[in-house]
Amino acid sequence: MRITEETPYRFRVEREGGMRVPGIVFASRRLLPDPAVDESLRQVANVATLPGIVAASYAMPDIHWGYGFPIGGVAATDVDEAGVVSPGGVGFDISCGVRLLAADLDREALEPRLGAVMDALGHSVPRGMRRGSVWPMPDARRLRDVLEGGACHAVDMGHGVQRDLVRCEDGGRMADADPGRISPRAVERGLGQVGSLGSGNHFLEVQAVEEVYDARAARVYGLRPRQVCVMIHTGSRGLGHQVCSDQVRVMERAMERYGISVPDRQLACAPVESREGRAYLGAMAAATNFARVNRQLLGEAARRAFATHAGCGLDLVYDVSHNLAMVETHVVDGRRRRLCVHRKGATRAWPPGHPDLPADLADVGQPTLIPGTMGTASYVLAGVPDGRAFHSTCHGAGRVMSRHEAVRRVRGEALRHDLEEHGIAVRGTSWKGLAEEAPSAYKDVADVVDASVGAGLCRRVARLVPLGVVKG
Amino acid sequence: MPRTDAGHRTTAHTADLTVQAWAPTRERCVAHAVTGVVESVVGTGPPPATTTVERDLEGATDADLLAAVIDEVVYLLETRGLLPAATEVLATPTGLRARFSMVDADALEPVGAVPKAVSLHRLRCERGPEGWWCTVTIDV
Repeated sequence: MRITEETPYRFRVEREGGMRVPGIVFASRRLLPDPAVDESLRQVANVATLPGIVAASYAMPDIHWGYGFPIGGVAATDVDEAGVVSPGGVGFDISCGVRLLAADLDREALEPRLGAVMDALGHSVPRGMRRGSVWPMPDARRLRDVLEGGACHAVDMGHGVQRDLVRCEDGGRMADADPGRISPRAVERGLGQVGSLGSGNHFLEVQAVEEVYDARAARVYGLRPRQVCVMIHTGSRGLGHQVCSDQVRVMERAMERYGISVPDRQLACAPVESREGRAYLGAMAAATNFARVNRQLLGEAARRAFATHAGCGLDLVYDVSHNLAMVETHVVDGRRRRLCVHRKGATRAWPPGHPDLPADLADVGQPTLIPGTMGTASYVLAGVPDGRAFHSTCHGAGRVMSRHEAVRRVRGEALRHDLEEHGIAVRGTSWKGLAEEAPSAYKDVADVVDASVGAGLCRRVARLVPLGVVKG
Repeated sequence: MPRTDAGHRTTAHTADLTVQAWAPTRERCVAHAVTGVVESVVGTGPPPATTTVERDLEGATDADLLAAVIDEVVYLLETRGLLPAATEVLATPTGLRARFSMVDADALEPVGAVPKAVSLHRLRCERGPEGWWCTVTIDV
């Protein structure tokens, strides 16, 4: 594999073999994955072989080894030229994403009440291996309403306020959801998980705004220095995973019929305009609506904890997915084209003035929410004019160390002690689970954000630091 | 020389969990992979089983059969709150029969991230000169 440094923040993976386009990795030299331990650059090259791919197989600065697609990968295929959709390009956790809420409270005012708020959150946020959800679904019919209506249905049922929908991608409901494409097994997995965090790298954090870089955008988003916030990182839980598993197998069986072969089974795909392609997008949209309701309900649980123990409300800043495929119109080679844009561990970042932005955000661009690691920082970024990679940016810090290695090097008890020494309250599920998510297992999120800004993918709006962590 | 030993281990994958297993037979190899997955969640030495669940599973290849058995473990954990303390795998004319000796997962203390799906990336289950060997990457 030949890699050329084009600028300090842009590396090119030259075309070879079956690659239809080059790979473009937006990263600094420091963040560029080490091929000896991480195969993500090979995965960038593999994605470049997908039928109908246009421009390049892109990777964001937080790129790391996934399966099929790299995590941090962006690829767009031309819908009108037999371009494909690949469930692996979205990932198992369909519409995994981040929701940020802001309290009308400064960190000093929260300090004496933080323990009570954290205890309430620790008690009311279902997480980890045990079953439980904020909004149990009694039957498949009720779940169908969630899959069709997304956050709009949750708000209609009294779980939230109308303004929540304005500040959620797609107004809280992804169109063209087809719950009929969701298997009974996926439904069964989803029934008891509406409003649950899960495990792995998912979390709910109480944070404070540490630094504001763009005062105007921060004001529009509803953020100010020292303000208390709540960040929720989770997705579509078992339902989304089952949809991905089911659809990868459907596509694998269909590929021969379409004359498609791929270098990795997890890249199984079918033309967007095929029966299988449309079925996947309908199921994916339904799982996306599930994920939005999931984050909506966890946001409601946080609102109750803050109302009871801190005496304040929480306003939604934004809710954005970082695992999704969307049909969008972009200009490529001077021509407007209908593209299926896969973002696997990457966040859409519409620029100021984009017609899909809600009116109040139109002047400043779309907020993108970048969760950091425990004990470091998270960022609020914004889309920029002339954004690259179909207006995409990073999605997090990006792992550099396997879970296996993290557990070998870090003791969960010591990590919790260290975090609490720094004033960060922790409500976890297991010591090993905590150790797996140690900050040292990740790239430095500040480096990732520097590279994203340097590469012209986004601009900084605010930096948030953790006050308390509820770990999945 | 054919192997007589059987076992499993987890290996590094940046974001998730990769389990490798080996055994003289395909069925024992798959059973060991299940044990590797379960140990990653709740450690070794689970309490005695309280119930048994049996499933007949199909797949076009041995690798797909391995994926089907682990998929079943994920599904039973999420929907019934059960984890296999021990797993026996038998060959059937159309695939594999998995006999899971189950414990209530709510009674166990997790020690690692919970498995959510089986990736097809580098999924292998094959017979070599020494016996059977498999590798599977699990999304957690």
